[in-house]
This record gives sequence, structure tokens and C-alpha cells, in this order.
Amino acid sequence: MLGNFDYVRAESVEHGCALLARTPGAAVLAGGTDLLVNIRNKAISPTLLVDFKGINEMGGIAFTDGVRIGANVPLNAIAEDQRIKTAYHALFEAATAVATYQVRNRATLAGNLGNASPAADTAPPLFVLDAHVEISGPDGTRRIPVRDLPVGVKKTALAPDEVITAVTLPPLATGVRTKFVKKQRIKGHDLAIINMAGYYDPSSGELRIAIGSCAPTPVLLPPLPEPVRRDDPLDDLTAALNRIAQEAVSPIDDLRASAAYRREMIPVFLRRILTALLHEGED
Amino acid sequence: MEQLIHITVNGTKEEARVPAGMTLLEFLRERLYLTGAKEGCGSGECGACTVILDGKAVTSCLVLAVEADGKEVWTVEGEASDGKLSAIQQAFIDEGAVQCGFCTPGMIMSARALLMRNPHPNDDEILEAMSGNLCRCTGYEPILAAVRRAAQQESEDVQDER
Ligand SMILES: Cc1cc2nc3c(=O)[nH]c(=O)nc-3n(C[C@H](O)[C@H](O)[C@H](O)COP(=O)(O)OP(=O)(O)OC[C@H]3O[C@@H](n4cnc5c(N)ncnc54)[C@H](O)[C@@H]3O)c2cc1C
Ligand code: FES
Ligand code: FES
Repeated sequence: MLGNFDYVRAESVEHGCALLARTPGAAVLAGGTDLLVNIRNKAISPTLLVDFKGINEMGGIAFTDGVRIGANVPLNAIAEDQRIKTAYHALFEAATAVATYQVRNRATLAGNLGNASPAADTAPPLFVLDAHVEISGPDGTRRIPVRDLPVGVKKTALAPDEVITAVTLPPLATGVRTKFVKKQRIKGHDLAIINMAGYYDPSSGELRIAIGSCAPTPVLLPPLPEPVRRDDPLDDLTAALNRIAQEAVSPIDDLRASAAYRREMIPVFLRRILTALLHEGED
Repeated sequence: MEQLIHITVNGTKEEARVPAGMTLLEFLRERLYLTGAKEGCGSGECGACTVILDGKAVTSCLVLAVEADGKEVWTVEGEASDGKLSAIQQAFIDEGAVQCGFCTPGMIMSARALLMRNPHPNDDEILEAMSGNLCRCTGYEPILAAVRRAAQQESEDVQDER
């Protein structure tokens, strides 16, 4: 027995949110791969789990103008979608980097964001892709950038009676490249010591970098003052971004690595990302 | 508060009243006495509890029994039929992929889910599918060999039937 709580399948978004609103200590249950572990470890003890997985409008991957990924879509469905792999490569890479195959059959993108771990692997790609979350609550729906969702370690901007219904990604200009990298202690599954995502638009020269596991929330770096060109020297670019990054992060010592090690790894990973974004596929 | 659930396990319809806090793993082991799936870690790390839920390999320690209401579950006990081991079970024996056996039911269910979606997996696909199954004994090579052999055997069996 994991704990002493009740469980209800929401019949609609409204029904589920109403339950969340009137039940103190209620929580949304998605794949449960964070929530049930936390209950088991007695880190939390919700009174009621509201399961929205049966709700159609919170499922499915729909390509319209950009893409809408329903909150209930498991990470494996994202990783196996060829269109996502092609168009939003960093998200594909991050989805496959989370946990294990079995866990990814349950774990959702919304749950990865809702959990608000500084190490959440899908957050850096969603930050650089300018993704948004669709949120529903008793007072209707709102939309916020994914980068505004986490507000601290395990804390989100969601009210207790709100639920994420989908994550949306804007269409990308032709030629845009994205990349995700993750450093972990072992080859098998592990949370990140540091993870990082990059976005580069060769036509405008816009470069975006987001770093995870190095601050209470993942961090989107402020932009470089000048557009980035493919033939900019890699050393200079890495150094410039590293200066910005070192200002923006505030890593801690934990069981996975020391703060100093994380700081040391930032330029290493910046270089890897820049190489992939600017030079991969060149002869 | 207990809830009434209906789950089809290895082809048999089961009905039970369970508390919301009961995991699918506990339901299988303690209510149905299907003790193949094991609890190694109870937190998604080891894969010893792997079963197939509506066609997907999942860690049953992180699924509530109430979440499985209305769904179909396959466990290692559903592998053998008419007293004959499945090709995967036989291959695990033939390749020496079983030592203490604690990981084996989970390994076999991950392999089964893989062969259901992809009858001819390559080694990378096998390793990905088994990425959530830890083994302390075998060193994994015999397990990889067993899944390869089972895939081969099952595709031959399918051809024989034609
Ligand atoms: C063995 C193992 C390895 C792991 N490895 C990694 C890893 O490498 N990288 C990584 O990033 N994570 C990892 N995780 C953590 C976890 O699998 C992911 O964070 C996963 O994406 C969580 O999604 P879920 O659907 O299971 O969420 P749940 O556990 O169901 O929910 C997580 C949190 O989000 C809230 N929530 C869920 N859905 C919504 C919603 N629609 N609206 C509002 N709030 C919501 C819940 O209330 C809860 O607080 C691992 C977990 C395990 C068990
Ligand atoms: S017991 Fe479920 S993964 Fe270890
Ligand atoms: S055979 Fe002992 S853990 Fe795998």
C-alpha cells in the first residue's frame, strides 16, 4: 500500500478541476512516476488523486500550426513520433533521455513539467523552443510560456485547482536546428548532473540556450548581443556564452555532483551544443 | 475508500474491491497470487515488477490497481500455454539467462512487449526495450542472446504455421 488516499477519474476537465478546488490536499495523477514515488517515500501525502487520463481533449499529438501535445501523452509516444523527431529534435532527444523504456510508457511531458524538478529533462528543450502550457482551472483556461511554469524546486506557477491540458510548440522556421545533451553519472538511467538544450536559426542568427540542474529551476540564458554566424570562432562563442551562463546559474552540491563540477561542465556542454547546432552535417 | 475494479489478467476477467493506495503489483501478487512479478525497488528503478498493461510494458509498482480498471494485463504467468513454455521462456533457459531468477519475469515481459510491437528487433532495439530491467547476476549478455533467439524462434514458428 502506497498510502491512504482516494482516487477519482475525472469525467471532464471541469469535473476534475472542481474536485481539485474543493478537496484540500488533492493532486493531479498523470503517469505517477514522480507522484507515486513521492507518496511511497512519504515526501507527500495527498488526500485525493484526480486522474485526468481518460479525457480525450488532454490526449493526442496534433500538428496544426506547430504542434499540440496533450498532457496525457506518454513520453514514448513523443519519442516515437517521426514528425517530432524531425521538427523538434531536441524534444525527441530529451524524451528518450528520461528514465527507462517502461517508465516512459507512463511518464508524461506535463508530469515532467508539473513535477518541477531542476533536472527535468524536457524543460530545457521546451524553453528554447518557446513552448507554452495550456492550463485549465475553475475560472477557465490560460496559456503561459513553459519557462514561466517552474518557480522553484518542485514549485510551479499552477494554482492547486489548475491542470495542464497540453503543451504547444510553435512552428519552426526552415533550417532551425535544436539539440539536447545530458550528463549523468552512469550509462543507464539517472537524473541529470547537468542538461542543456540549444536552438539555432541560421537565417536570423538567433541562438537560444537553456540549462538544467544548475539552479532551482532550469534557466533560459539571456541572448547574445550579436547574431551568431556559422563561421564565428567556436572558442569565442563558447567563452561568451559561458560568461553569461555562469552569471545565470546557481548550482548546489548534491549527491550527483558538486556545484564546482557543474560549473566546470557548462563550457564543455556549451561547446558540444554549439558544435552540433553550427557544424553538424558539414564536411 | 475501496473501489470496485474489473481487470482482465492473462485473459481471465477479475473483479475485486481494492483500496486506492494498492499498486497493481500488490493486486497481482497478494490478491491473485500471481507472484511472478517481483518488487525489487518499488520505485520504477529495477523493472522486476514489469507487466504488460494494454499492450505496453510498465512497472506495476508505479501503477495503481484502480488505474488498471477496465484494462488488460499480461504477466509472466500468461506466457506458457498447455504446459509448454513460450519461446522467450525457453530461450532464457537455453541461453543461461536465468541465474537467481529475480529479474527474469520482468525481463520476459519487457521482451514480450518488444516482440509484440516489433517481431524482428535489432540489438539496439532490444537494449532500449530492456533498459529498465536490472540484473545483478547474468551480466546481460545471455539475456540479449535469449531475446535474439526468441525473436528468431517466434518468427520461424509463425512461418511454420503458414
Ligand atoms: C526510475 C525513474 C527514473 C527517472 N528518470 C528521469 C530522468 O532521467 N529525467 C527526468 O526528467 N525525470 C525522470 N524521472 C521522473 C519522472 O519519470 C518524470 O518527471 C515524468 O515525466 C513525470 O511524469 P508523470 O506523468 O509520471 O507525472 P506524475 O508523477 O503523475 O506527476 C508529477 C507531478 O506533476 C503533477 N502533474 C502531472 N500531470 C499534471 C497536469 N496535467 N497538470 C498539472 N499537474 C500535473 C502531479 O500532480 C505531480 O506533482 C524518473 C522517474 C523514475 C521512476
Ligand atoms: S519494483 Fe517496480 S521497478 Fe523495481
Ligand atoms: S538472474 Fe539474478 S537478478 Fe537477474
